[in-house]
Amino acid sequence: MKLRVQLQCKNLHEYLRELSPEILDRLYNHPATCLAVYRELPSLAKNYVMRMLFLDQPLPQAAVALWVKKDSQKDHDECVSVLAGLRLWHSQQLQGGLQGYILNPVFKDNLRTALLGGGRAWAEEGSSLGPDRHARDIDSLDRYAMERWEVILQFMVGSPSAVSQDLAHLLVQAGLMKSEAGEAPYITSAGFQFLLLDTASQLWYFTLQYLKTAQSRGMDLVEILSFLFQLSFSTLGRDYSVEGMSESLLTFLQHLREFGLVFQRKRKSRRYYPTRLAITLAAGVATSSSSSSSNLASTPGTGEAGFIVVETNYRIYAYTNSELQIALVALFSEMLYRFPNVVVAQLTRESVQQAIANGITAQQIIHFLRTRAHPVMLTQTPVLPPTITDQIRLWELERDRLQFTEGVLYNQFLSQADFEVLRDRAQGLDCLVWQDVAHRVMVVTPQGHSEVKRFWKRQRSHT
Amino acid sequence: MASEDEVNLLVIVVDVNPIWWGQQAQREPQFTLSKCLDAVMVMGNSHMAMTRTNRLAVIASHCQDSHFLYPSKSWRTGDSGGDDASSSGDGKYELLAVANNLIAEEIRNVMSRTEVRGNSTDTLLAGSLAKALCYVNRVSKDLEVGQEIKSRILVIKAAEDCARQYMNFMNVIFAAQKQNILIDACVLDSESGLLQQACDITGGLYLKIPQRVALAQYLLWVFLPDSEQRSQLVLPPPAHVDYRAACFCHRNLIEIGYVCSVCLSIFCNFSPICTTCETAFKIQLPQMVKPKKKKLKQTM
Repeated sequence: MKLRVQLQCKNLHEYLRELSPEILDRLYNHPATCLAVYRELPSLAKNYVMRMLFLDQPLPQAAVALWVKKDSQKDHDECVSVLAGLRLWHSQQLQGGLQGYILNPVFKDNLRTALLGGGRAWAEEGSSLGPDRHARDIDSLDRYAMERWEVILQFMVGSPSAVSQDLAHLLVQAGLMKSEAGEAPYITSAGFQFLLLDTASQLWYFTLQYLKTAQSRGMDLVEILSFLFQLSFSTLGRDYSVEGMSESLLTFLQHLREFGLVFQRKRKSRRYYPTRLAITLAAGVATSSSSSSSNLASTPGTGEAGFIVVETNYRIYAYTNSELQIALVALFSEMLYRFPNVVVAQLTRESVQQAIANGITAQQIIHFLRTRAHPVMLTQTPVLPPTITDQIRLWELERDRLQFTEGVLYNQFLSQADFEVLRDRAQGLDCLVWQDVAHRVMVVTPQGHSEVKRFWKRQRSHT
Repeated sequence: MASEDEVNLLVIVVDVNPIWWGQQAQREPQFTLSKCLDAVMVMGNSHMAMTRTNRLAVIASHCQDSHFLYPSKSWRTGDSGGDDASSSGDGKYELLAVANNLIAEEIRNVMSRTEVRGNSTDTLLAGSLAKALCYVNRVSKDLEVGQEIKSRILVIKAAEDCARQYMNFMNVIFAAQKQNILIDACVLDSESGLLQQACDITGGLYLKIPQRVALAQYLLWVFLPDSEQRSQLVLPPPAHVDYRAACFCHRNLIEIGYVCSVCLSIFCNFSPICTTCETAFKIQLPQMVKPKKKKLKQTM
């Protein structure tokens, strides 16, 4: 029985695969989504798409199979299934009766547009409004984005901060917080795990949750996704105009503004600036799938360099004065000293196990430390001292000593022979969980119970 | 699969030799320099579209100088382009649109500014390659901690080989080999012995394309996959390599010549003192009469 609920962070691919074919086909109507989907393909599949991008006739399947060497056949099969799964190519009958592949025409046209131009512009540029008197530079945008995002995280850890009703509701719906009637919402174990992710993964997880609820808010999923991808391909520090956006998209823009993905000076302002968070959104998709990736600290979205130094004596030095980061470190360690620019904490068995009891896994703690490692730490390999990572894992394993298995207890056998006959039978059926010969006690699995019971009844009627 | 920590840099060196392209325009009006640059842009766009970390540089190799088309001095990545490099206003990805506009503008500058003087009509390919290597080096120095770089150079070669650049060329090749930089060559006209050697030594691909009009498709098909995917794909077989060396005295390509036993310089005819290291060869008197018995070596 699994006691913990692991926070699942899907990547874009898995998400898209779950969408229905109609939605997928409609998604490909925008160049930005085509480009985003294309970027998520396995590298071999990317080359397949490129090779076929300018072909208007279907290619025989046999010819496509000859593109790869014999020993990479497995990769080829994977690519074929991925491309078919995302409906990027179809099989088509060739003239000679052979089966051929052809790229999804809508996807092909839009990817061509994204690469080579033509078609309509993605978004109205701000230049049509004339120069902005309150133009923002990149630094201030970064600061703004980080501020907004930290407000959300701070709200989650319970510090009083102003968050809209909508956002609080969304956090509850995402299962990151729980709220009971009349009380302020409080954080769940999933929420703790969420806090330890890096910003890009947090953002992506959050967006996925948002998309899940989008349809129930009466929003068009395709419209929102297209806009998101379009944002992630826009240029930092440039302003865009809200001209021509539909009502539901404008609401979405207000939400994005609250998350810090876009900057808009006033609610009614006619222009908006995408921030670094929005632009790294699509990039964060890929990194979130590989938690082992070593260097996420440089994810531009975090806005600041790593600040944590971990020593082999289990001390953590965190060079930060952000309340939030200190609170996060304190989730799994014991605070020792606090200075204006640095806090010192100690990893102990109790503190780590406390964190694990809260639903955080060892992997997440290690990941947190690694992604926020100080540049000095990054220069050494492995980034974290192996003793620390091993010990954290061992502490986690300590809690896993008990294993729960459901079963049915058989006892009070009258003779040793009876016990042995039944035990051997259960063993033969491969359903014996545990036995104690001296006390004539045994446990069988619930699945095997009926069979063993029937056998025992027959056995008794014989004697 | 390429991870986010890996930067993939592609440097495209385009031969824009005005004499060759001028003749080409008369020979085959459907394939001109602008068509070729279109193909290069398609290739560059596809490379940049593949992942966010892919980088591109384009160098034009003229007969007077080599010129960076992209990225150029006036435009740096964080700077959002300003007003002069605004996007094309259609459905193209902004980054690509900015890059393409820049390339087009720069090539216009290069072609109108530089004039051809009578004596120098060869493309300065070795110089451009050296510039490409320098650029690769600079990018790899700028990387953040933990990032890795994989770079390759793609040469699109039009004009004839120039044996006078042999020495510089070989130096560039060995420097590239040491840095693990692939050199690919896409040859439009006549076979190039120097590039064959470059590709063979650095492990790149050499292809003389049979149909020039289909350049873009060849580029996407053969040269777009990076070294990792090339190991999986079936690609054109390696070409026969012309390993002839150029002599140091007249820059002729020779199969058999004289080699200095001290500095390994190559000469097409005998001289008693090596012009490179100034070693005087000691020659026994009786053999002076019959110069046939001189050290005769085959160069490899």
